[in-house]
Amino acid sequence: MSEPLLVVRGLSKQFVSANETVPVIEKLSFTLGQGRSLALTGRSGSGKSTLLNLLCGLEVADAGSIALRDQVFEAGAAAAKHRAAAWARLRKQHIGVVFQEANLMPALTLLENVQFRAYLAGRDPAHSEDWLTRLNIGELARRYPDQVSGGQRQRAALAMVFAMEPALILADEPTGSLDRHTSDEVTGLMFELQARHGCSLILATHDAELAAGCQQHLDLGHLSGV
Amino acid sequence: MTGFLSFFRFFFLPRALLSHYRRHPLQLVALGVMIVLATMLWTGVNQLTSQARASLAQSEQAVAERRQVLRDDGGALAVDDFVTLRLAGVCVMPWLEVTPSPGHHLAGQRLVGIDPLAAHCFGNSVDGAGALDQPLDGKPFVDIHTAAGISARESRLHLLVPASTNPSVLPPGYSLAGFSASPDTGELGDSFLLNLEALGVLVLLIAALLLRSVYLLGLAQRRESFALLHRFGVPPGRVQRWLALEILALALLGVVPGVWLGRWLATGLGGGFGQALEGLFDIPLYAGQGQGWLTPVLVMLAVVMVSCLGDLLFLRFRQRLALPLAVQAVVAAALLVTGLAMAWLAPSLLWVFIAVALVFAGAGWLTPLAVARLSHWRARLAKKPLVLWRYRELAVLVRRLTLPLVALQFALAMVLAVQALVTTFESTFDRWLAQRLEAAYYIEVPAGADGRKAADWLTSAQERSPDLQWHRVIRGSALLADASGEGGRQVDVFALAPISSLIREWSLLEAAERHWETLAAGDGVMINEQLARRHNLGAGDRLQLSIGGEPLDSVIVGVYPDYGRPVGEVLLNAGLLPASFNTRFESVSVTPGRPGIDRITEALRQIWDVGALTTRDNATIRELATGVFDQTFALTRAMTLLTLVLAASALLMMGWVLFSTRTWYFRLLVAWGMSQREVAAQLLRLALLLTGGIAALALPLGLWLTWALVHRINPLAFGWSLPMAVYPGFWLELAVLSLAIGLSIALLMRRQLSRPAALPASASALSGGER
Repeated sequence: MSEPLLVVRGLSKQFVSANETVPVIEKLSFTLGQGRSLALTGRSGSGKSTLLNLLCGLEVADAGSIALRDQVFEAGAAAAKHRAAAWARLRKQHIGVVFQEANLMPALTLLENVQFRAYLAGRDPAHSEDWLTRLNIGELARRYPDQVSGGQRQRAALAMVFAMEPALILADEPTGSLDRHTSDEVTGLMFELQARHGCSLILATHDAELAAGCQQHLDLGHLSGV
Repeated sequence: MTGFLSFFRFFFLPRALLSHYRRHPLQLVALGVMIVLATMLWTGVNQLTSQARASLAQSEQAVAERRQVLRDDGGALAVDDFVTLRLAGVCVMPWLEVTPSPGHHLAGQRLVGIDPLAAHCFGNSVDGAGALDQPLDGKPFVDIHTAAGISARESRLHLLVPASTNPSVLPPGYSLAGFSASPDTGELGDSFLLNLEALGVLVLLIAALLLRSVYLLGLAQRRESFALLHRFGVPPGRVQRWLALEILALALLGVVPGVWLGRWLATGLGGGFGQALEGLFDIPLYAGQGQGWLTPVLVMLAVVMVSCLGDLLFLRFRQRLALPLAVQAVVAAALLVTGLAMAWLAPSLLWVFIAVALVFAGAGWLTPLAVARLSHWRARLAKKPLVLWRYRELAVLVRRLTLPLVALQFALAMVLAVQALVTTFESTFDRWLAQRLEAAYYIEVPAGADGRKAADWLTSAQERSPDLQWHRVIRGSALLADASGEGGRQVDVFALAPISSLIREWSLLEAAERHWETLAAGDGVMINEQLARRHNLGAGDRLQLSIGGEPLDSVIVGVYPDYGRPVGEVLLNAGLLPASFNTRFESVSVTPGRPGIDRITEALRQIWDVGALTTRDNATIRELATGVFDQTFALTRAMTLLTLVLAASALLMMGWVLFSTRTWYFRLLVAWGMSQREVAAQLLRLALLLTGGIAALALPLGLWLTWALVHRINPLAFGWSLPMAVYPGFWLELAVLSLAIGLSIALLMRRQLSRPAALPASASALSGGER
């Protein structure tokens, strides 16, 4: 068993809408080792995106704790500002987030997007074009997002994430809007690079085949304190 | 099947189209409010200008129809005199001038009390009922019962009659004399009104731009619905017809209350405005009613339809004109340069107005292109990806916010020009008053009386009291000697003796050395600006005149500004006038000093052996004229500022909406590790760059518009020009306002950032509009 990168303990999150409180995640616990991959499955609305948002600090948990690298984030209102700043530092340098779509700044070329992300992470933007080449879109580097296909955009999003050399990649159905063939290509590249660079991956997906490619599996449809 | 289709067309299609507003009710409200406000603003400005022009037209008619009744014994008029005259059947209107006592809340102001019920005496030129309807709650005109009730330090009653009044109808002991409460501003007022009308056109243009920007924003969001309808088999033409019907209905709903509000605004503000102009042009209660309802409603309906649906109406034309950006920039620059050159060289007013239109079209077209180009250039120079992103984002915002930004630029330029124009008018008006009213009193020399006798007495009185200043004024006309030997053009003669210190403070446009001394010695003459311009004359040139049939050849020692007097005039020493000179009018200008005006008028009355003298108190006139012009200027400023506020609000609203559509991308920065504070700072810099840049680009346009108004439109319309002044302090105020708009957008966006952001609607099918 590799060193744990992420330790989640008793994590809960609920949303309040109109007159009712909807629990989305209840007392969830799991551990993810360094360089390991975890598939997150469950029906729509089961809380996959919410969990990913909690794991990168874009949302705040109601209860429980998240330990990532050497930092522990306890739920609660105390020191919220300090906690937000710490999460922002982690996202900037160590957590790469890939959404289903719209991962790129539309006013920048693919290359400029990768350079921008590397720059924010404090990495050398000079290697950005290499990442695009590795993802087989080197020749499209100077095109804008609206000038390439959806699959090419997702490859560019992955290039951005790998250019920042993250410890953890959070991918929220990254191939949900792609056809099967393109989806296979993109996820294949993702797994390959993740394995080669030794970063951890949490992949939210509906696709059982894709989930099977991950080393761990967490089904939010059967929450029972994993 | 056919029945189903018909049902769909006439029931579901409009429902489907209108469902957008059900989902976005605020957009409907924004569009409606914009139509109402734009209509209100333009109707207000237009109504005021129409009122002002009507007042001027009426005053021109009525100014010659005013005379006053005087007592033959020279005594002050009282209510008994009014009663006596009315009982004799003379239609007479009381005019009570009151200076409130110290301690009164109106102390320091001079008020004029008028009896509206007696205004029908002057009913030849206006509808009497209309005159009675005029409110009298402004300054300086109040109802006579209000004026009579004021604890007064000084009050004086005049009884006015129409010029057509036959002296024979007056009871014994009374006679008629001329009456004037303020100087005739002539071309100065005309010029101001012309500029107001030009600004009204600009307000209309700005209103159209704002309407178009709000409408197109909604249309962009409905594009996907239209595409869906098209896929369902609805022809685009049918959708366009329904859209035209929709905007027509909305326009009808918005324009009518807008016109009503505009008229209400004009009436509310224009109470003072109308009275101001009435006072200025010496006409009480004669405010024009402006235009009716139909014209503004039709104009605004046309503006709404064309500005919102212009694309649909000229779709084919527009598709043919879809030029590449570089070509657009060249065409816009060509329009701008052509306009600038045309404004410089234009031989007539029409061409200057065309030139102004070309410059605004060119500038409005070029500005977003130039800012976007500048942003891309700056982005290329950026070493940090964050700076690169900021300038690229700026270019997108400028392109997407083109219409409200151009509207703001136009509004800022207009406000700059109006501020400069109004301030210049104010200072010009002060100088004009100082020139026209250099003495404290004017005393008319009665018909048949000898002005020289008065001059002799005043000379001896001045020896006893050196603080007494005076001169005789003799007016008539002369002919300019024509080089061809034929009859020359007639000019006015303004003869003075002595050349007293009263006029030596005049500021001259051109002067020879020792000009006043030369004029006093009768060795030279001065001419007004109009004559100098018309005949290309200046100090040092010679002027040949025929005065009273006698030739006069003299050197020009100075050119004085005439502030709009349309007739050429020669100022000379009265000693040069031959005996054959036909005196049209003669008066004495007096600043009485220690002897006091009462003693002087009494002495002159005895010298001329007349019952009463017509005396004008210039301090009163100055106070009245300054007061009323101040009101006019304040109102003009208020209207232009209102336009600016509307443009600023529109940009704020549009900026907020557009930023909101990009919230996802700003939130992406947060997902990439920037703190919300850092992202908010980036938004602030973006918004400030946007609005600050527009303010900077509005400055040259505003300065050029000022120049065009004072140096091109005015001289071509009236043959004289105002001095052009610039006010950097005001530029700074506008810059701060622009930055405040940017700050407001950034603050709204910061609030938006803390809320969950939806994926962009077109995220899976980027269209290129995002960059």
